[in-house]
Amino acid sequence: MPSFNQLLPVDFSAITRDQMILAIFGYMTVICSLFLFFMLFSLIPALRNRRFRKKFEQEGMPEISNRIVPGEVSAAIALAVSLYLEELHDQETSVLTIKKIGKTYSPWNSKIYNVINFNQGKR
Amino acid sequence: MEGIARFFEFSGFANATPGHFLMILVGLVFIYLAIRFEYEPLLLVPIGFGMVLGNIPFLEHAGLQLGVYEDGSVMKYLYMGVLKGVFPPLIFLGIGAMTDFSPLISNPKLFLLGAAAQLGIFLTYIGAITLGFNNLESASIGIIGGADGPTAIFLSSRLAPRLIGAITIAAYTYMALVPLIQPPVMRLLTTKKERRIRMRPPRSVRKREKVLFPVIGVLVTGFIAPGSLPLLGMLFLGNLLRESMVTKRLADTARNAVIDTVTIILGVTIGASTQATTFLTRESLQIFILGAGAFVISTAGGVLFAKLLNLFLSDENRINPLIGAAGVSAVPNSAKVAHQEGLRADPSNHLIMHAMAPNLAGVIGSAVAAGIMMGSLL
Repeated sequence: MPSFNQLLPVDFSAITRDQMILAIFGYMTVICSLFLFFMLFSLIPALRNRRFRKKFEQEGMPEISNRIVPGEVSAAIALAVSLYLEELHDQETSVLTIKKIGKTYSPWNSKIYNVINFNQGKR
Repeated sequence: MEGIARFFEFSGFANATPGHFLMILVGLVFIYLAIRFEYEPLLLVPIGFGMVLGNIPFLEHAGLQLGVYEDGSVMKYLYMGVLKGVFPPLIFLGIGAMTDFSPLISNPKLFLLGAAAQLGIFLTYIGAITLGFNNLESASIGIIGGADGPTAIFLSSRLAPRLIGAITIAAYTYMALVPLIQPPVMRLLTTKKERRIRMRPPRSVRKREKVLFPVIGVLVTGFIAPGSLPLLGMLFLGNLLRESMVTKRLADTARNAVIDTVTIILGVTIGASTQATTFLTRESLQIFILGAGAFVISTAGGVLFAKLLNLFLSDENRINPLIGAAGVSAVPNSAKVAHQEGLRADPSNHLIMHAMAPNLAGVIGSAVAAGIMMGSLL
């Protein structure tokens, strides 16, 4: 069983300047690339809102508000649409459809042929 | 008589070593964890079974063509998909086709948490160098901190194929153990008041934004780190198949048949690659220790960055720092952990959708980090 020092022989002098630079540069590049995503995707809704505002101004319609539709409202609307499309409803029509179940018996599935008359011998 | 002696010589009993039994035991533990506690069962069951399969002792180099390292064996052919980095892009295609990026698009500042949580990759890279690993091996070990199995496989297949088994097993093991590793770090770095922060509900995202996301994504990441293209190109392609709504059949195949097939083969071969005779080394142990450190550092990086962001945000836009931990890209496990921790602090505070955002950003961030490492070191 190796000792702790044998298992983890830490040598800080092994780190070169280039390796430190790569680590820092790499981390900064990851942050910058995702920051770019942040910028772009913050810009898209702003551009969209601006376009709509311009359109409404030109058409003389009331200016739309920047109010965000809460998630609960979206969920309720989505549920209502889904229920409507699936034709589910709260009140049933109260009409029961009784399906007629017909069974055709043959010697192969008739119960009568499977009954063993245990008491027959005692009579 | 000679035939019987030869049969015994070839049997598992004659070739068994304590290492084989140890690895079989580890495989059985994986299977137990997956079935009993449902820790990443889709990964741990095939990997665990693969470990059992790969550690059934046999006479090596006797022309039996059995093990994953023997020329001509079926397992070796399947393992080629790992060694040559074929499977990770296919898995990313499936992930893209099954993922809804709306939580991220609706709150873009959470992209930054996914970036911050990649800290573990670069600090572990330095840590591995201090332990004597060379530059390429250190970068491959560091990527464990990204908590992304396919990315770890992809990068180590390019930079350090020798260590691919240990790195992959470490990455997947810690990904499965996220519910055990992350909570103590999260609790240590946050106050109860911070854990109770309620975040604004995300806005609804339009279809056009969802379609634009993969197109913009591939352009941004492709130009910054072309090395990440095999992974992120496929991720964004899969997402475009899903969001365009005109390729439903392709999206369905990618998120079901393709990813399932690849996951089974990948899991079994990765498990089988832990053959005791080649896997049980001091280096493997070091990789496991470094991997654990990488996970802890990445988690801390995400949480601390969320706290830093809160200093600049208004009260209504504040971020619950717990979701910073989801910036490591163990999807969706780390998001679930953030959600659970949030519920512990406030049973009516549901963070899952918010936590998915940094989680998905983490997938992109770790693949970009891998691309940067490849571009700088190859």
